[in-house]
Amino acid sequence: MSTSAHAASHAQRPSRSAKAGRTVRFRILRCDGPGKPSRWETFAVKVEPGANVISCLRQIAANPVTVDGKATTPVVWDAGCLEEVCGACTMVINGKVRQSCSCLIDEYAPDDNNEITLEPMTKFPVVRDLWVDRARMFSDLKRVKGWVPIDGTFFLGAGPRERPKSQATRYVLSTCMTCGCCLEACPQYNIEPDPEAWETSFLGAFAISQARLFNMHQTGKELAGERLDALESPGGLNDCGNAQNCVKVCPKLIPLTESIGAMGRATTIHAIASWFSRG
Amino acid sequence: MNSSENAPGAASFMDRNYFLLRRLHSLTGIVPIGVFLCVHLLTNSSVLWGAVAERGGHTGGWREGGVAYFTREVVWINEQIPHLLLIEITLWASIIFHSVLGIYYAASGKSNVSRYSYQGNWRYSLQRISGYVGVAFILYHVGTLRWGWTFLVPGGTEWSYQFAASTLAASLRGGNEGFTLAGVVVSLFYMISVGLLVFHFANGLWTAAITWGLTVSDRAQRRWGVVCAGVGAALLLMGWGSVLGYALLDPAKARAVEEDAALPHDKTVIGPDKTWRGNREGEHPLAEPGYPWPGTETAVTKESQEGPLQR
Repeated sequence: MSTSAHAASHAQRPSRSAKAGRTVRFRILRCDGPGKPSRWETFAVKVEPGANVISCLRQIAANPVTVDGKATTPVVWDAGCLEEVCGACTMVINGKVRQSCSCLIDEYAPDDNNEITLEPMTKFPVVRDLWVDRARMFSDLKRVKGWVPIDGTFFLGAGPRERPKSQATRYVLSTCMTCGCCLEACPQYNIEPDPEAWETSFLGAFAISQARLFNMHQTGKELAGERLDALESPGGLNDCGNAQNCVKVCPKLIPLTESIGAMGRATTIHAIASWFSRG
Repeated sequence: MNSSENAPGAASFMDRNYFLLRRLHSLTGIVPIGVFLCVHLLTNSSVLWGAVAERGGHTGGWREGGVAYFTREVVWINEQIPHLLLIEITLWASIIFHSVLGIYYAASGKSNVSRYSYQGNWRYSLQRISGYVGVAFILYHVGTLRWGWTFLVPGGTEWSYQFAASTLAASLRGGNEGFTLAGVVVSLFYMISVGLLVFHFANGLWTAAITWGLTVSDRAQRRWGVVCAGVGAALLLMGWGSVLGYALLDPAKARAVEEDAALPHDKTVIGPDKTWRGNREGEHPLAEPGYPWPGTETAVTKESQEGPLQR
């Protein structure tokens, strides 16, 4: 993975000295609940140095009045760690998906009256305003058995040794926080509100990469064949259209397209071997 | 048949054979369709380079040599290539399979280049657009030149393999008398479609390598990308060169070369006038070597006997 090119495409913008004491406008796509219509509302926020989108949303919540002077309800959003490791605050900012907690206003709106657009992710059902329900991602992790099977009735002893080289490859894969950026940017991943259909809908780059992570683990290997079966089934790896947006928007710089290539190879070999051996 | 197959919730044929169908879709794009594309464009572009490889002893310029070489290639393909029917059936089955499944698969995606205008995302969208245009072009191309849809040909020229270059030139130009407006439109449609189909193949070659797991690392994908771009550039040169080569060909001059030089592939000379005019009577041209070919007596003109470019 050429990390430099990767990082260049990321959020870092040319640093400009942001104007102190400026007002920034937030244009927010709001929705009162599942199935309710969406509407745009704009708020003006006097930003402090070092402010981020979450801190500005807090200011809006403290005084939920639009630029037209209309009193409204506080904007709802989801957040957890506030340090870009949990993925909960992911939203579409100025048209591109990313975490809002690490989105610095000084970079996005350095001048007075600059505008920032906030929208909920479009690939998941909206709960309210900027808060979406990403339960499908958890369902997809279950599809690919994204865990190490160690449950049992007695102590199994120490596991097999991990090799440093494999560990180094796996480390970056393990930093996935299930934020959904790769899915939001993927032209092959569509919103599916019906949980019944999740089993056969495209599971996306993150799940393919997690299958690779656990298939490389010395104990996780126990379920390698089942994970590959899942990737070979409808909605699996072959739904990928290789647009490679996933790797461009991944905030953790996970080489998702390498994982897709690696699992492509694994499924090719697994499918041929199964065809000749499976009873 | 067990009853559970039709039970509600039973997996569809597409779902039960998901992996196989997806991989066959990928494979057919390369073999045989992609391989055919390479051979097809190589043969077609011989109008430009055929003079170099001329095997018939033509002494005219590069253009005449190209027409003569191309004509012999086309006649050979139509009359002497082994298992032509098998080749055609395989090719058509693959094209239909690849197109129908491709359109079905493409419907599962939703382009988002307006928000994520990365180069790879553009290629993703263009891959689908070029597929749609490609299907339309293949139907037009084969329909007008092979199935006699002359109502779609400006000027109404009927293509014939014995006079492949001249009738193709007339079909692209809109008649035998220089370009018509409709001819320019058809030629542009050819240029655009050939460009898109070449892109579709080259980009498909690149994505197939990821799907099958040939290229795994980012650097390997980039290296293979350079190879695919090279293949695409070479095919584009051949494809666009072919379209321009025929569109800028004078049908009358090409016809003279064809009548003069249309020898079978193995250089066998047919008929006392050393011209061979193709298998228009439905018999094999080599059936009676050395004897006048049926219809030759009436069809041969003085010009074609002496030929403006004959040695």
